[in-house]
Amino acid sequence: MNDRARVVVFTCNWSGYSGLEAAGGARLGFPASVFPLRVTCLGRLSSGVILKAFEKGAAGVLLLGCPPGECHYQFGNHRAEEVLAEARQLAGLLGYRREQLKLDWVDAGDGEAFVTKVRDFIAGLNGK
Amino acid sequence: MERLPSVMSQNRVWYCLDCGKCSAVCPITRWETRQYTSPRLLVEKAVQGHPDEVLDDPLFWSCLTCKRCSELCPSGVYFSEFLRDARAMAQEKGQKGECSHSEVIQVWGRIMAHANPAQDRLGWIDGDLRVSHDSDVLYFVGCLPYYDALFKKIGCEGIEIARAAIRILNHLGIEPQVLADERCCGHDQLWEGDWETFQALARLNLEQIQASGAQQIVTTCPECARTLKLDYPRLVGGHPLRVFHLTEFLAQPGIGDRLNLKAEDMSPTVTYQDPCRLGRHLGVYDAPRQLMDRLGLHRIEMGRTGKASLCCGTSCWTQCGQVSKNIQVERLREAKATGAECLVTACVKCQIHFKCAQSDPALREELGIDIRDLTTLLAERLGDGTKAEPS
Ligand code: SF4
Ligand code: SF4
Repeated sequence: MNDRARVVVFTCNWSGYSGLEAAGGARLGFPASVFPLRVTCLGRLSSGVILKAFEKGAAGVLLLGCPPGECHYQFGNHRAEEVLAEARQLAGLLGYRREQLKLDWVDAGDGEAFVTKVRDFIAGLNGK
Repeated sequence: MERLPSVMSQNRVWYCLDCGKCSAVCPITRWETRQYTSPRLLVEKAVQGHPDEVLDDPLFWSCLTCKRCSELCPSGVYFSEFLRDARAMAQEKGQKGECSHSEVIQVWGRIMAHANPAQDRLGWIDGDLRVSHDSDVLYFVGCLPYYDALFKKIGCEGIEIARAAIRILNHLGIEPQVLADERCCGHDQLWEGDWETFQALARLNLEQIQASGAQQIVTTCPECARTLKLDYPRLVGGHPLRVFHLTEFLAQPGIGDRLNLKAEDMSPTVTYQDPCRLGRHLGVYDAPRQLMDRLGLHRIEMGRTGKASLCCGTSCWTQCGQVSKNIQVERLREAKATGAECLVTACVKCQIHFKCAQSDPALREELGIDIRDLTTLLAERLGDGTKAEPS
């Protein structure tokens, strides 16, 4: 997989996106192949939306939400895990590898964590 | 929609007599309360030359293409096929119905059609199930592994239906072929007007089917059966294989009569849901009933049965909503009213839709009836060894 392979990063509005903004504010770079998409809460995603990213050519889909137990809506983390499990199963049947889809979290405002997690995810895709 | 008149001609829409028989039985007409809609009215809009009104009619995308109306039409109007073809025109213009389940089912269909994935879909063939690479029979699994992932949580039998099918075939000494990269058959794409995806899927399947060298295709999905049997040859490419729904396959003399079935003394009382695609689309009504009789199941028919059967309320994973739910509830009440303990069907989608309606906590008690696929019922009643060949 080349470094330019497109990666979709779904961020929740409260932690993931706040991490992205902080990274931008601090001028921390991450690869231009990353397409961040903000959703209100990762619990609002569905396996259809996640698979659609693959349909449109994403090489990987990363979900970045709130730290465990700190979901802005309390149950969104849990819901996101359920959605991820379903999407994983379907993506697996379709032949996508496990490392191509991941759920992770960052603290609100932690730009460095955002960049690190995105870079690690891409490295994982490339088998590094 | 300039080509609407030609689609009307192909499907005998001009022959409508305005009798209204179709509207009297259409489940959408009965339950769509937001705006009056009926097949007759939609036909009238088309005949009077108002394509935009045809497109805006709620029935345009919500018609189940269940063929209940055409069963009664004295003039032979192919209403379902008319909408199928008109929907393809609408999709070309960028319009489509509302997809249920966040469009995930349509998405996996498109990935299978265009992304050339390396599917990993045979994980369920385990234990004592036997398949081969050279059998004369090919078992076409359909989307069961995918539905299993999506609908197990509502109690859908999912991949157990495929396991049961292999068990039955093995019992008969058949070790069927199963395609490692089988694609969705394209049924839903065809009937909701996504012609491009349908064709791509059909071509990919036809290539593999032809390369398999099999002579017969057996499937447990009525939609796959219809599509492979009628639509592939008509629309995409001919193939020499004979296509059977498993119940039809077993109804053949010398095959199903070799099944050694354990008829139980205390078998449940059952009623049977004719899937639209198996019944009205393919004309298979007796084969599943014969099998239930052979299992010693006491069968009580619902009031509307066979050709008059009521559809399970949703088609092509589109436009699911209050109308679908009302149809499902109506049908489950009818099933319950027979006094049967189990509603048997032969289509995984019927099962999914009814189980979904049953999951409503407010209706759980009222609509509680066991729902089973005939395939799994059969498989769990297989005895040891087949019966001797009839002499
Ligand atoms: S095919 Fe079924 S849903 Fe569609 S108009 Fe006819 S009866 Fe109504
Ligand atoms: S049943 Fe046939 S002839 Fe009668 S209104 Fe409907 S489409 Fe027209």
